[in-house]
Amino acid sequence: MPWVPRVARFMESSDMPVSSIIIRSLTKQYANLTALNSFDLEVEQGSIFGLLGPNGAGKTTLIRILTTLMRQSSGEVFIEGLDTRTNGLKIRSMIGVVSQENSLDRYLTARENLVLHARLHGMEKSLYNRRIDELLELMGLSDRQKDFPDTYSGGMQRRLVVARALVHKPQLLFLDEPTTGLDPQSRRAVWEYIRSLSGSMTIFLTTHYLEEAEQLCDRVAIMDHGRLIALGSSQELKDRLSGETVYDIELERDVEHYSSLLGSMPCVSNIRRIDNKIQVSLEHWECLSEIVTALNGAPIRRITLKERTLEDVFISLTGSGVRG
Amino acid sequence: MIMHGSMAIWLRDMQVLRRAIFSELVAVVAYPLTIYLAFGIGMQSYIGTVEGSPYSLFIAPGLITMTAVNAAYNESVWSLWFHRRVQFTVESYRVTPISVSEIVIAKIITGFTHGIIKGSVVGLVIFAITPFRFPLEHLFYYLLFLIPGSALFSCAGVISGTIMDKPETIGKVEAVVVMPLIFMSGLFFPLSSYPENIIPWVRAVPTTALFEGARRGLVFGEMSPVHVFQVSISAVVLFIASVLIFRRKMSE
Repeated sequence: MPWVPRVARFMESSDMPVSSIIIRSLTKQYANLTALNSFDLEVEQGSIFGLLGPNGAGKTTLIRILTTLMRQSSGEVFIEGLDTRTNGLKIRSMIGVVSQENSLDRYLTARENLVLHARLHGMEKSLYNRRIDELLELMGLSDRQKDFPDTYSGGMQRRLVVARALVHKPQLLFLDEPTTGLDPQSRRAVWEYIRSLSGSMTIFLTTHYLEEAEQLCDRVAIMDHGRLIALGSSQELKDRLSGETVYDIELERDVEHYSSLLGSMPCVSNIRRIDNKIQVSLEHWECLSEIVTALNGAPIRRITLKERTLEDVFISLTGSGVRG
Repeated sequence: MIMHGSMAIWLRDMQVLRRAIFSELVAVVAYPLTIYLAFGIGMQSYIGTVEGSPYSLFIAPGLITMTAVNAAYNESVWSLWFHRRVQFTVESYRVTPISVSEIVIAKIITGFTHGIIKGSVVGLVIFAITPFRFPLEHLFYYLLFLIPGSALFSCAGVISGTIMDKPETIGKVEAVVVMPLIFMSGLFFPLSSYPENIIPWVRAVPTTALFEGARRGLVFGEMSPVHVFQVSISAVVLFIASVLIFRRKMSE
């Protein structure tokens, strides 16, 4: 009989989006520290979901509870419909985890690492050998499968960890800062692999690279102090930041004059001068025509719309102070 | 499939051992063999016989047992510490559908296997290059001690590797607890050398039962059920303790 990971569906209704992860009022208390505080979240099946937060926000605690490595103090978590408190083994049979540390076995070759993982999942030899061949090929590691991970570059090691997490064809893949420490080329290569998995499984990703979340994730959550503070697509989060539109106006000369002129206009909510540049925040984009009229005859070199980034959203929500 | 996780991890450990078996055995054999040659051969003319046996014959079973239990302890303690604290492989095992108990049982069996293999090799080497001989049937009585003894020390290693986070602490415990337990259990001298009022306390220590029982089994073909029970029950208690301690540590 072929080996099939056990899967449960939480919601069977065809119209409703099916949730791969459901978190309700999740709280985790360590002595005097509340790592997670009434945390609620749902992650749709087949989506790529990004979790952002500064150091100490509670991301690692959340991942450890979701992957059944840790028990919550209160609240409920369902993975593919199964309660994490009572279905640890079943849940672990259908999830793949790429942890922050490589956790590769340096005394085993790349292939042996994957074989060990397949055996831990109780897979038959005939099945796992074929699957491992596929994965090594997909990750571009076939030629180096008999080498030890220590001889790999950081990017190759990361790809091997991802391959290991995929050996048993998981329904849900957890990626905890999957590209930390990689050079831009390797990072983009890992992104490509993650993108190629999109739709075939649910991907839950934590990252410190906001560009990564922007590039990969269908939905993004920002958490801080154990609480969910923002949730939506990266565009929705950027739109939600404020209704203001910010323009950079670069002038050849008379910067001070035009700065005070624009500053006196009612539709300009905020103004900053940076060298020969004036940064104006407008209450509505429609105010731009008034600005252009006011600047008639001014020695303008460039007017550019300053795009909001996810980083702006992140900083505005979590502050710019350095965390432990 | 019950215990498939333990089997997978044990197979991994044996694969790694197979790859480095030659260098491992050279290192393992060198120490007891040096002691045997230095004390057994070098000191024999000064010591003569102990409890009716030539000194080289008196210490040989203890050296084989020492190799086995040391190997079991060292493999368990360092393997668990390394996989938990350095390589984080224990974390990667824990996100697969196996229980925490399967991980710790695999590590206990691995330590035990190391002990049996390395003890046997040292025994064979001593047998091959020294005049130490024993009737083959005595081996059965000896194994009654060697098997639970290796298991006992493997469990002790798992407990140390679980609760100690710093490598220097592991080294200190080995120097202050493990080696004295081995050396003071009558490995190089008869228990009758101790003051009379201390002997009952020394006999109560499971390692004394292990070394004393193993020697009497191998050299004289004597079977002491009390000693076997003492070693076996200690192994069972430490096995339960090691599983519970590891599970508790993992849930922290």
